Amino acid sequence: MKVTEEELCRHSDSVNEQLARYGVKFGIYKGGQFHEQLFPFDVIPRVIGHEEFAYLERGLKQRVAALNAFLGDIYSDRRIVADGVIPEEFVFSGSGYLVQCDGVSPPGGVYSHISGIDLVQGKNGSWYVLEDNLRIPSGASYPMIARELCMRSIPSAFTGGIVDNRNYPELLRHVMDYVNTGGHSVILTPGRFNAAYFEHSYFAERTGARLVTCEDLTVENDRLYFIDYSGRKEQVGAVYRRISDEYLDPVNFNRESLIGVPHIFDIYRKGNVAIINAPGNGAADDKGIYYFVPRMVKYYLGEEAILQNAPTYLPFYEDDMRYVLENFGRLVIKDVAEAGGYGVVFGDKLSAKEKENFMAMLKAEPRRFIAQEVIDFRDIDIYEGGKRVPRKADLRAFVLTGEEPVVWKSGLTRFSRNPDSFIVNSSQGGGFKDTWVMKEGY
Amino acid sequence: MAILSCANSGRLFWLGRYTERVFTGIRALSGRSGAWAEAESKLCFDGKNPESLYCSLMYAYDNAIVLRDEIGSDTFSYIQMAVYEMNSARKSPAPMLQLQKVNDNIAAFWGMADDAISDENVRGIIKLGKRIERVDLYARGDAGNDEIRREVTRLTYRIEKTGLHYDPETLSALNELAEAEDIDRPEMIRKVESLVDFP
Repeated sequence: MKVTEEELCRHSDSVNEQLARYGVKFGIYKGGQFHEQLFPFDVIPRVIGHEEFAYLERGLKQRVAALNAFLGDIYSDRRIVADGVIPEEFVFSGSGYLVQCDGVSPPGGVYSHISGIDLVQGKNGSWYVLEDNLRIPSGASYPMIARELCMRSIPSAFTGGIVDNRNYPELLRHVMDYVNTGGHSVILTPGRFNAAYFEHSYFAERTGARLVTCEDLTVENDRLYFIDYSGRKEQVGAVYRRISDEYLDPVNFNRESLIGVPHIFDIYRKGNVAIINAPGNGAADDKGIYYFVPRMVKYYLGEEAILQNAPTYLPFYEDDMRYVLENFGRLVIKDVAEAGGYGVVFGDKLSAKEKENFMAMLKAEPRRFIAQEVIDFRDIDIYEGGKRVPRKADLRAFVLTGEEPVVWKSGLTRFSRNPDSFIVNSSQGGGFKDTWVMKEGY
Repeated sequence: MAILSCANSGRLFWLGRYTERVFTGIRALSGRSGAWAEAESKLCFDGKNPESLYCSLMYAYDNAIVLRDEIGSDTFSYIQMAVYEMNSARKSPAPMLQLQKVNDNIAAFWGMADDAISDENVRGIIKLGKRIERVDLYARGDAGNDEIRREVTRLTYRIEKTGLHYDPETLSALNELAEAEDIDRPEMIRKVESLVDFP
């Protein structure tokens, strides 16, 4: 790899020029204003060996199968609650749980069609799941187009040992087709001023699914239609929505919303259209529910979880609350309602006064927070200012579920550009890398 | 034929118009010499003047970026590169060099659109926007009558191939105006602007 990495670094500028040429950007709001910016790409990939990825693949499939089973259960029989495996406070009081989804069975029986599982690798080589993203996980487009452009810029670096990751659109298309209830598959975007708009439009281009906004769709006679420019109506059978539950249907969710497709949820409930991912998935990727995922694996699949969670404490439990208060200075506390790297507090970074205030808040709202041991995750080199420097990085793995979960043999590796930070999110200045999964024997 | 939303048909049309506006605007500047007057710079680069070439290109970009799935990333990339060149031109002491590259990219965009977009309607709407804008610009500017006649002929040929709804009487009137010895340019502008009704 050494020679290849050096060669890659020499071509860093040309790859980034290519990314700029194709407008590989993300949006960010600063001071209430929308800014479009290039997503900083580092040319040194994360490399995962064949055996190691096979282990991750087994663990990811198992985890997503359990999460899908959990969603099916809590929106129907609620056996896991009745059997006392997960306290009902954690299932039904989170904002992600939608009472409207009770008794609704999605087409194909799939809830989380596209799951983004965030992992980190500790310094001892162990992998830990940090977060499950089952609502609208984004990011697969970036390593995919980066691979394409790296292969163009540095063809000699790709000698055949790396699994080609450019099949993501086929995997996505397969999922859409699998659950499609009849008609076109579309990608529903909130519009250009969404942070991940590049991804929406790129997936539409690469999957052949039509990119639509809410005003292009209408519900009539219990079916969903796309209206074309001549007024013709074409039936739609699958909607890969990149718009949150709250804004999906103003009749059934946020009645004050000016966007959304009125009554789309009604026909989804009748099985007349597939919504990807299913509404209500937030009940399973809440940071509080995360704690219970290994228990779900055991409960639904009768297996021990292959992938470990980061050591996590729930202040909701008395023993955990005591532990968290005693060890506050070395833990990371996360607000379960926040995402994107927000609502994350490192105990050792707070002043005495801030610590006191935070602990009071913790005691007042124990369900709102989780606490985790800070995992000193393995650094990965990035190429910066003409030299290689180590930075913290995570991995978002993507699992696509149609008939069964399939793990995309790549992933989005995000890194912190700040040497002292563990926060890798693009919204907070992080960059990304490609993730190379090696073939057997390489 | 792919399905195309009403909003996207309008965007394709305006993408054609704005690219043509920038292209013809830059070509009109190509014969100039000497230092740039302030008024000239404003006409080209003023981000607050909606009629500047800079704003026109940004409007083209605003349309193109939401049409990636219709026109493809390769075709889109030429608009993106034109924007980068325009931004360089704004900072350059000799902006014609970068403006020339803006036009190189617009020409490449048109060529790529023609070659790579498989849907005839999508291609046709961009071209129609371009042709309408050119007749409009030529009628407003100092183009000769023969040049205007040629562009009206090309527009007539194009509009009949797009399968779009247009007003045939207006098209006939436009051709009659073009055939006159002394072209009534204000009337020609009115006719060409009312030929199709896009959002």
